[in-house]
Amino acid sequence: MSRDGWRKKASEDDGWGGMGGYMAAKVSKLQEQFQKDAPIERQKDGKYSCIFSDVAIYVNGYTDPCADELRRLMMLHGGQFHLYYSRSKTTHIIATNLPNSKIQVLRGEKVVRPEWITDSIKAGRQLSYIQYQLYTKQKGLNFTSMCKRGGQDSVSSRDPAKTSLSLIQSDGVQPSKDILKSTHINHATNSTEQINHQLDIKLNGSYSIISDEDAGSHRMNGIHNEDDDNFCAPLSRGSRGPLLTNGYVHPVNGALKPQDLMEHLPQVVDAESHRPNNPQSGHNEKEQLSNLSCAGSKADLHQRPSVSAAAPVEQHVPYNMQNELQPKPTCNPGTSAETSNLQNQTSKILLNGSYHTTSNSAHADSAVGMQSGSKQAAHGAEAGIISEFFSHSRLHHISTWRNEFSEYVNTLQTRRRAAGGAVFSGKEKLRKLKANCHSGSSMPAPQARQSCILHVDMDCFFVSVGLRHRPDLKGKPVAVTSNRGPGRVAQRPGADPHLEFQYYQNKQKQYRKEKTDGDFEMTPSPQTEETPSNGVNLDQTALSMAEIASCSYEARQAGVRNGMFFGRAKQLCPDLESVPYDFQAYKEVALTMYETLASFTHNIEALSCDEVLVDATALLAELGVTPDELAGVIRADIKEKTGCSASVGMGSNILLARMATRKAKPNGQYFLRSEEVDDFIRDQPVSSLPGVGRSMSSKLASLGVSTCGDLQQLSISRLQKEFGPRTGQTLFRFCRGLDDRPVRSEKERKSVSAEMNYNIRFTQVEEAESFLTNLSMEVQKRLEGAGLRGRRVTLKVMMRKAGAPVEPAKYGGHGICDNLARSVLLAHPTDSGQLIATEAIKIFHALKLDVKDMRGVGLQVQQLEGSHADPSGHGSSRGRSIRDMLLARQPVHRQNKESLAQDGLTNTSPSRPFSSNQEGVLPPQSPPSTLLDPIPGTSKGELLNPRTPNHVRTSLNLSIEVPSPSQVDLSVLEALPAELRKQVEQSWSHREERPSTSFHLSTPPRITSTPAPMLGTLILQIPNQSGQPSTTGIVLELPDFSQVDPDVFAALPKELQEELCSAYRNKKNAQAQSAAVEQKKLFPQLKQPAVGKTKRRYKRKNASPAKNGPSPLKKLLQTGNSPAKSSPSKMVSLPINNQGLKTENVRCTSSPSTDAPKILSKFNPRPVPTLAGAFDFSDIRTLLHEWVTTISEPMEEDILQVVKYCTDLVEDKDLEKLYLVIKYMKRLMQQSSESVWSMAFDFILDNVQVVVQQTYGSTLKIT
Amino acid sequence: ATLTRQDLNFGQVVADILCEFLEVAIHMILYVREVYPSGIFQKRKKYNVPVQMSCHPELNRYIQDTLHCVKPLIEKNEAEKVVVVIMDKEHHPVERFVFEISQPPLLCISSDTLLSHVEQLLRAVILKISVCDAVLDNNPPGCTFTVLVHTREAATRNMEKVQVIKDFPWIVADEQEVHMEEPKLIPLKTMTSDILKMQLYVEEKAKKT
Repeated sequence: MSRDGWRKKASEDDGWGGMGGYMAAKVSKLQEQFQKDAPIERQKDGKYSCIFSDVAIYVNGYTDPCADELRRLMMLHGGQFHLYYSRSKTTHIIATNLPNSKIQVLRGEKVVRPEWITDSIKAGRQLSYIQYQLYTKQKGLNFTSMCKRGGQDSVSSRDPAKTSLSLIQSDGVQPSKDILKSTHINHATNSTEQINHQLDIKLNGSYSIISDEDAGSHRMNGIHNEDDDNFCAPLSRGSRGPLLTNGYVHPVNGALKPQDLMEHLPQVVDAESHRPNNPQSGHNEKEQLSNLSCAGSKADLHQRPSVSAAAPVEQHVPYNMQNELQPKPTCNPGTSAETSNLQNQTSKILLNGSYHTTSNSAHADSAVGMQSGSKQAAHGAEAGIISEFFSHSRLHHISTWRNEFSEYVNTLQTRRRAAGGAVFSGKEKLRKLKANCHSGSSMPAPQARQSCILHVDMDCFFVSVGLRHRPDLKGKPVAVTSNRGPGRVAQRPGADPHLEFQYYQNKQKQYRKEKTDGDFEMTPSPQTEETPSNGVNLDQTALSMAEIASCSYEARQAGVRNGMFFGRAKQLCPDLESVPYDFQAYKEVALTMYETLASFTHNIEALSCDEVLVDATALLAELGVTPDELAGVIRADIKEKTGCSASVGMGSNILLARMATRKAKPNGQYFLRSEEVDDFIRDQPVSSLPGVGRSMSSKLASLGVSTCGDLQQLSISRLQKEFGPRTGQTLFRFCRGLDDRPVRSEKERKSVSAEMNYNIRFTQVEEAESFLTNLSMEVQKRLEGAGLRGRRVTLKVMMRKAGAPVEPAKYGGHGICDNLARSVLLAHPTDSGQLIATEAIKIFHALKLDVKDMRGVGLQVQQLEGSHADPSGHGSSRGRSIRDMLLARQPVHRQNKESLAQDGLTNTSPSRPFSSNQEGVLPPQSPPSTLLDPIPGTSKGELLNPRTPNHVRTSLNLSIEVPSPSQVDLSVLEALPAELRKQVEQSWSHREERPSTSFHLSTPPRITSTPAPMLGTLILQIPNQSGQPSTTGIVLELPDFSQVDPDVFAALPKELQEELCSAYRNKKNAQAQSAAVEQKKLFPQLKQPAVGKTKRRYKRKNASPAKNGPSPLKKLLQTGNSPAKSSPSKMVSLPINNQGLKTENVRCTSSPSTDAPKILSKFNPRPVPTLAGAFDFSDIRTLLHEWVTTISEPMEEDILQVVKYCTDLVEDKDLEKLYLVIKYMKRLMQQSSESVWSMAFDFILDNVQVVVQQTYGSTLKIT
Repeated sequence: ATLTRQDLNFGQVVADILCEFLEVAIHMILYVREVYPSGIFQKRKKYNVPVQMSCHPELNRYIQDTLHCVKPLIEKNEAEKVVVVIMDKEHHPVERFVFEISQPPLLCISSDTLLSHVEQLLRAVILKISVCDAVLDNNPPGCTFTVLVHTREAATRNMEKVQVIKDFPWIVADEQEVHMEEPKLIPLKTMTSDILKMQLYVEEKAKKT
């Protein structure tokens, strides 16, 4: 029979041909076999159950235990095992690892890890599969709840089409890919930012102190600095110990071969910053240059050319650094003055200064907690809680130390630079030692020429510090934890510790797999103390949930691990002793260690309080000692000074040094020689590589990779395919022991955030809102402290996972949670807490969460740039550059006006300058407008910039602020040098000659009784720009005349009265010119939340019409002329002039009376039309509603603003919105009792119709 | 992957999406405005919403051919407006559905945002069309329709030179077909996405009968 014949037959035959027929037969046969085998298995095994009676599993891919074993287990325990997946019959899919394509196919199915089965069998019942779900676990990204709601959407979000469809169905849930996208953007913008950061570091030495990821990348403690790197994201979000994560995370950027230039830059700068440190090292570098055989020097060579380019910038550094670095890293002894501290410190954000009070207060805290449970629980909503929390959180403290030590190292370097060299006591000692030992044979060891990195790590830092004064505990299993009881606590009602315990144990199990020897790890739940409460029946006690921060090697032998719950550890090791935290001591010891190291060299990178990288290359070469000798001396020194032992790993790069440390521990040292590297690294597990966390190691495991040797077998293209280009390359290099990250003492920061997820229990939305506001203020503090502003605001929320107990096992803890994160990109970088709060609250509302289930809230600001950006605008954001252009085009006139307007404001309200808008008419006392929106593409946002005054003023050569003549003491004037006096006098004459062309009217409504001080602050600013005298604008800042209290006025001296009178006269004259200014500022006025104020203002305006001459348009309105005839007014007519019929895509750039938007529109071709800063339709509606309902008679300026807005909408081809706006106004205004509103509407409509007619040849149909 | 305007297929992507949409939209307009009896329409699903598509082969052919010719224009960003004109028996327009197409404000797109977002927006437009009879007056009986394209610059000359489909030439519209007495404008929908900015409005003759 021919093949063809057979095939033909097969396809026709009914039983075998169709897929269905054959498969159905096979599946049912398999089913039969399974049923038949089951009783046999049961007999064989002896123990069996029916816990899986309703379960049918399908095993996909590699699992542990294997599929056969799972099949057997299912037989034993009453379940079904499907060899072929059936959507209708299979209930669970078992897998440990699934490719993306499969995940998409299986979307919506229960994909569970095999542990579910084994654990269920162990537990004797069918456990909830939720915690074993594969996706939620595997994707470290923060949208686990997305998986729940949208059925594993987030996982498949790489497929936009599919995602969108399913997302739309799940009501109102924002697509999670937004977040993915945002990280993407981060990457893209990285380059410019990094350059910025570096520049900032140079200009402002103190800045670098707050380095990259301080250890608090953990949920419960304060600062959460995430690297933008995707690579790191899973790490820091996962449950790894903060400090360990830290150390590994930051250098990832630098770990790559400098393929792209921007990657290169930080290193360059860094290298440069090292150079002047060691005057002696110059010759050493030359040596390195010639020594091509060494990998490290190759990297050096690579950097060389750019180094010289960076040199000129470097020269500025010492100056600023000296100035800035006054605050020393030493502990600030303030006890409770936290807020004042934060305000004072420009460089350190987090030194709350309550270290030595911490342990006490924390205890007190928990004591209170136990006594008044419910009361305490509400604290999350209280105002002071955030500062409270951060000043008490222990982890928060430790996490901030790294910054401090980085700062310390910086300070040392700076100080030495200033002193032109320093004495290295340790180095001298070593030199002497060397001289004694090898007098005569001073030939340096050959390996000393190689680069050599030392990784110094204290052994069980917390324990050994704790044992310094407890010699009795030495050699016993000891754990540092907050719990001092027997490890049992009362169980609170509503809590289900069992469930959570399993959850965390489960987490830990995986976590431990890749756990390394770092002795400083914590799990991500907050620290609390749970001591047995008085009077509670001890029968109901549960295991203590206090984590072990660190445990001794003896305890580790018993199976105790860092981060374990104390209760569990106590079970494992009954004679485990607990030692309390002693933060003061940690601090002291750590500082001593740093001092010791700094006595050898200053090429130090602080990784954490007990972990340091030292670049000893130069040192070894200079002294001619071997690394082992150096390490020995260092270790002895540390032991002697601190009483604690340290381990030192040495290698030719950071990676190898770290790996060597692992081998060196405990209390030893190990030098990984370059010839041993290959053999050594081959046997290392992949999880020991930095950046390889749980998810990646499991992914690698699925590729059959468990050691670095296995990893070396994979090609770079394969790795890049699997992990992305960057990560792939990094892995490729790391597994070969290649690492060109430099030891960096300065690091830039990627994000600033504040996060709190302890004791968050809201009952009302308002509480959550006010909490967000407070948290924003905390972020503001930190941003200000760091001198940074950011563009991306991310809100992170932890929500109780559906089905998780309402009350978590840990008191006040967050329990099992879903993490949500949403971010928004602001138009301009900000450090305003108010703005951040507004955005955060907006996001919060968009998420539509149940506040009662909120367990944690975090705010993060990314895309940072320095708040004192480079005035030339290089590398700064687009917004700034537009502004610069604007300034350049409008040389002096506008600058003056703006800077003065800003000055006036900053003078009166220096604390909150940013809430003002461009023209700055917000009264000083008024609260910052909550409606204020950072709008992409608007000009106003930029002009809100609080730093503008400084910025502008520095760009002018000279500016004098001269008080009015009457204010000046003549004797003082005479005492001035002649030149200066002349200038002052000149400025006065200028003012008299040239009554302002650009009046800035400030009308703070509330000041009625104290005009005198206000008037006293008349400000003159005369930019010394020769050749342009005509542009010199003189600006008087006067309150409205009606504001002046006649009594006070009468009480003024005569000259002052005259001065005022003339000023007001001038003001009146200048009314026409000021109209433009006025017009713009009116709408912002509307936005003020205080309605009464607005009303008052309008009444006042009406009361003094003489002063405020009615504009032609207003007249028109009042006399009731047909507005249609007047419609070719200044604003409306422009499109008519510019535009022919049937436009050929010619965008008419209508120029309203202000210049700014016109110029802006040149650079940004399509600015979103805005009405007083609002562009969202709901905002517009609110604004209009407020306008119409609170004011009895509209101002013509406001009406013109609306017309302008509508015209913009036509031009923007957004007729739909225009239609909505018009219809809304029609409803509002025609219902208004005042007929003037009705007329106003007619006027607006007529104007709009003209524009529409011109643009489209037809008019809007208004029904 | 990120496409930029310079990429060759960018224009094609936009044109494909848009023409697909226009086909659906034209069918919907013909159905909603009752230009053809509802019997020739069939309910289908597009953009995840029910739409009405004609089953009349010649009508479908005409629409397809028309759009086929429009596509090259859109690819080159030469079509400013695509207008579905509904005319009364005397061939005077009574209603114009104007799809005004313009460049999006952003210069580049990422494939991530492409489909999902655009699809949502297009769905909204379709839905708006399906309810537009609420804001429009009834048309007189016996209406016909035609499709006009407003081109930018000298695109018409090229169109005369190159016939995309044989025997399907484009002609300059008669003044009679374009002019409308006292047109009233009813905006229906505006969409702005990364790849496409479009607004749909209806121009309606004040007195239709």
